[in-house]
Amino acid sequence: MSAPVVPAATRRVPGAATAPGARAGGTRRRGTWGAIGFLSPAALVVAALLYAPFLYTAALSFTKYDGLSSPRWVALDNFRRFASDPALVSSVRNTLMWVVGTTVLPVGLGLLIALLSFDIRGGSLLRLPFMLPYALSGAGLGVIWGFILQDGGAANDILGALHLPGAHTSFLQHWPYNTISMIIAWTWQQTGVNALLFLVGLQSIPKEPLEAARLDGAGRWRLFRNITWPLLAPLTTVVVGLALVASLKTFDIVWVTTQGGPGRSSETLAVTMYRDAFVSGDYGYGSAVALMLTLTTSVVTLVYLRRQVTTREGLA
Amino acid sequence: MRERTAAWFGRRTVLVVFGALWLVPVYLLLVNAARPSTAYDASKIWVPDTHLGLFDNIRQGWDSAGLGPSLGSTFLYSVASPALAVILGAMAGYAISVLRVRAGFWWFMLLFGGTVVPTQMLLIPLFLGYSWADLYDRRAGLILVYTAVSIPLAAFVMRNFFTGVAYAIFEAARMDGASIWRIFWRVYLPLALSALWAVFILEFAFIWNDLLFGLTLSQTDTVRPVMTALSSLSSAYGGSTVPVVLASGLVMSLPTVLLFLGTQRLFARGLALGQF
Repeated sequence: MSAPVVPAATRRVPGAATAPGARAGGTRRRGTWGAIGFLSPAALVVAALLYAPFLYTAALSFTKYDGLSSPRWVALDNFRRFASDPALVSSVRNTLMWVVGTTVLPVGLGLLIALLSFDIRGGSLLRLPFMLPYALSGAGLGVIWGFILQDGGAANDILGALHLPGAHTSFLQHWPYNTISMIIAWTWQQTGVNALLFLVGLQSIPKEPLEAARLDGAGRWRLFRNITWPLLAPLTTVVVGLALVASLKTFDIVWVTTQGGPGRSSETLAVTMYRDAFVSGDYGYGSAVALMLTLTTSVVTLVYLRRQVTTREGLA
Repeated sequence: MRERTAAWFGRRTVLVVFGALWLVPVYLLLVNAARPSTAYDASKIWVPDTHLGLFDNIRQGWDSAGLGPSLGSTFLYSVASPALAVILGAMAGYAISVLRVRAGFWWFMLLFGGTVVPTQMLLIPLFLGYSWADLYDRRAGLILVYTAVSIPLAAFVMRNFFTGVAYAIFEAARMDGASIWRIFWRVYLPLALSALWAVFILEFAFIWNDLLFGLTLSQTDTVRPVMTALSSLSSAYGGSTVPVVLASGLVMSLPTVLLFLGTQRLFARGLALGQF
């Protein structure tokens, strides 16, 4: 298995039998048709089920469409409705809370767990409790936390036993508690995988600079601040980027825990899109919400990656 | 030396305290999923019941929410779609890196670009198109959509894998007169088994945990995937008791929990490469 596999970079060393372009004309042509035969099934499925629907949703977002009569062109009306739609405004606000909450809490706690459990005996056992929740689906998460957060449920019990405020709060019934408590549930699930990602990063950091700095008498905080953190930066970019993209599309846990309610107070943009399209049958407006969500996600991701890249180049 | 000992205890203490906190929901889940359905009392959730009701609860979920057929269908989706996707993805990767199709980079971008298409942009046309084509609420329809969303990652990984395989192998096989199909099935696909397996596992878990496509494209108990069934079971109108819902959730989560615990690192790596 390992013998024939060589790194990509060494593939075109001189002495390899032929250069790519040097094949005879006939072979090349047959090869091309053969290659297209290999490509087309995947390309067709992706084009028909991913790209075509994408374009159709983009087009529908400029129409009014109830699924029965044919779509009617309304130009930017759907987008103009955004500002005056209270459900959409609160949905944007909740989505922002998700973005901030989930790029800070699970990432920060994940880093903490990774740092604490890195390089100690029994580390993987100590990490196990954080890993367990990750394998749960968003729906499973919603079921468990819906049970914990219900009125007079476990969350109220714990806060009451500790004499903390919140013993009688109906967490799922009032904004902003419903959104905040679901973000905490999400943190419970995501911390482990972030810890795992950071751990992979920590293992790839060379030990020599840390040892040298320690011998020079640098304290733990300085070691972290000046060596570990900068060396982890590429990975932090990925981890935060993943959390960012996922948070903008939050759906499952909200749908199962509160269905976006009560009223529409805990909806995220993905939930709003689903409700407008499939509960209210307003496909044009639902498409507009989907398009806005997509544009937001793309812009945020691009700006974020650009900033990360330029910051790092600036440091170098 | 004393400082070192303090740090030693400090690290472990923080980990154990946080870990215990993290296990509280797991404890509550297990204790209340195992409680007999009739013995459930919202004010007594912390103490385990002396009678084991877990299997009765599972049976109730099985009967009332149709979990049995749903589990079977979900198993079909989670196996068939990634299997199709890794084969189609491997074929595309082979065409791009080994057969060196013209404009290979653009083909690659076309396929891999599929990962950035958000699910929300697909739902409405898929729902409308599936209703029109009689694929709505059909297993074939769900297999098709899960295959489509699994292909980009498969094509990405397989293209990278095949780029790392010595080109001389292909040339030698061509000299021996093997057709490109034969080389693909007999040489390249077997070489790629470990990579195919990794992609398969990631996609399996993703499809098993999907809620949104199931919610949009299926309806009946026998077709809809487990997470969609769980979601309706737990809704206010589901009419099931808390232990039944929790026990059902537990059973449905078991496959991915076991899979994940067995392959933690694979998941972390796959996550990092799947999204960017």
